[in-house]
Amino acid sequence: MKRIEVKLALPIVAPLLDVIKDMSQGLRHTLAAPVAMKEIDPDFHAAWVDDLLEHQNEDVHRLLALFDANFFSEGMIAFDEENADIIVRACAAVRLQLREKHLKSLPDEMLEGGEVELGTLAEPLQKAFMCYLFLATLQELIIQHLQESMLGA
Amino acid sequence: MVRSSQALPKEDTRTEIALGGTWRVVVLNDPVNLMSYVVLVFRKVLGFDEPTARQRMLEVHEQGRSIVWSGLREKAEAYAFTLQQWHLTTVLEPDETH
Repeated sequence: MKRIEVKLALPIVAPLLDVIKDMSQGLRHTLAAPVAMKEIDPDFHAAWVDDLLEHQNEDVHRLLALFDANFFSEGMIAFDEENADIIVRACAAVRLQLREKHLKSLPDEMLEGGEVELGTLAEPLQKAFMCYLFLATLQELIIQHLQESMLGA
Repeated sequence: MVRSSQALPKEDTRTEIALGGTWRVVVLNDPVNLMSYVVLVFRKVLGFDEPTARQRMLEVHEQGRSIVWSGLREKAEAYAFTLQQWHLTTVLEPDETH
């Protein structure tokens, strides 16, 4: 099984975990990408939302579980075929929630390009944007190294 | 004397949702999800090859939406659900060209 281990700078990443935990609270009852399907029967719609929320919460829980005792002692986290799908999905959910809760004031082009002068942002926004970039980096790492495994090749 | 149940007809208003015909699965743009992530999801969920997945991703990015699948309602719903599970905003539309 292909596995990648990533060593992270604890003093930089540890404070971002509070942001992820904060976002995970909001995601417990809210979908990161709301279902906008008026063509669906209301009962079916409600069942969909419940199922999607359950999956979303499991994914985000697994993301938070990456940052365990090993991370706090060695700064290491690891990805493999077993957790890759879950972690990239969870990162997407938290990034969408970060945009919704903290980064809406930033223009879409800025978010898409990731080119923001951190020093120009207020303190809480800085932390949220750093977290947003950190999660994108995790996604890119996983996709770059584990994509073929994730696609079952 | 007329019983009230006869005097007042029961209201039975319901919305009928057409289940037949051909349905489109449409993915909408968002400024958050990475291009590489969207390509991965299209390959994984819809079974696209890399060039097709990339082309559809660019359609979403540049035109705001892309029709990624069309066919029977039940299967369209299954694709839409899975794409939502991957946090891509997805809508279903009746395909009126069929």
